[in-house]
Amino acid sequence: MKTVAIIPAYNEESRVADAVRDASCFVDHVVVVDDCSYDQTFDEAYSSGAYALRHVLNRGQGAALQTGTSFALKNLNPDVIVHFDADGQMQGRDIPKMIDLLSNSDVDVVLGSRFLHGCPDMPLSRKITLKLAIIFTLVVSGIKLSDAHCGFRILSKSAAKRICITRDRMAHASEILDLIKVNRLKYTECPVDIKYSDETLAKGQSSLGAITIVKDLIKSKFFDV
Amino acid sequence: MIFQILLIAFAFFALAITTKQYRRRKVSLYWYILWTLLWLAVIIVALLPQATDPLAQLVGVERGADLLVYIAIVVLAYGLYRVLVRLEKVQKEITEVVRKVAIDKVQEPKKDE
Repeated sequence: MKTVAIIPAYNEESRVADAVRDASCFVDHVVVVDDCSYDQTFDEAYSSGAYALRHVLNRGQGAALQTGTSFALKNLNPDVIVHFDADGQMQGRDIPKMIDLLSNSDVDVVLGSRFLHGCPDMPLSRKITLKLAIIFTLVVSGIKLSDAHCGFRILSKSAAKRICITRDRMAHASEILDLIKVNRLKYTECPVDIKYSDETLAKGQSSLGAITIVKDLIKSKFFDV
Repeated sequence: MIFQILLIAFAFFALAITTKQYRRRKVSLYWYILWTLLWLAVIIVALLPQATDPLAQLVGVERGADLLVYIAIVVLAYGLYRVLVRLEKVQKEITEVVRKVAIDKVQEPKKDE
């Protein structure tokens, strides 16, 4: 079974190489999509052994994920696509058990969850935002999850083909859940271990970003072209 | 009175700009005619505000000026909607181009690693 990890990266020169090396222990190929960083992310990704793609304009994380997925489906013939992060919060060792879940059951998508087994160590404001996101997802997409915006996902080839991300910015996480529901894909959750550090928290989505996501989604319902 | 003069002056200014743009082939003949008709209408209404009153009363609005404001708001809102939809489309097209360039110019990892 051929596995490909997609890592969208924006200004992650200090962390992307570690993320690539971590992921490549558990997958066959790693694809890094540099979303027009102004640091050395692209070179770091390339020299750490990943397929390196570069957006010539910043298009957002959703767009970068879709670029990596399109590339992998076209050139690497994967059986499984892994959505991974460049900032070192996700742990590569969670990948095998998620792939096992995918191959040993009839699900199309395995979603990483930070809350399935207990609660990780994270700031209270983040916790509240994520809980609201779960309720929001239930209302909007009709999908009940323990964690709606983890970003750690395993998709079968057919699921990856059908989940075509059009929300370029951060609303893609909700869009993916929407597409799972629309395409009637089978999904399950798998507990994953996410390491928060002050550095990554400072760079990651702020809780206020949730407002942008909701705005983006409302926009997509009205302005879909 | 002052407002009428300002409005007419602005309409002439807009007409001049549109003509200039049309001569430089920045706007098509279709839009040039449309814009010209609009600004000519603005001049006529500015000179004879009462001229629109009968039309307004026909559709159940008291004053012609009010009718114009209502129409203007509706037209502007619709125009804004169209522009936003178009903008969204352009955004998606940009992403498609950026994606294609990224995939075409991929750096493949060295095989000996």
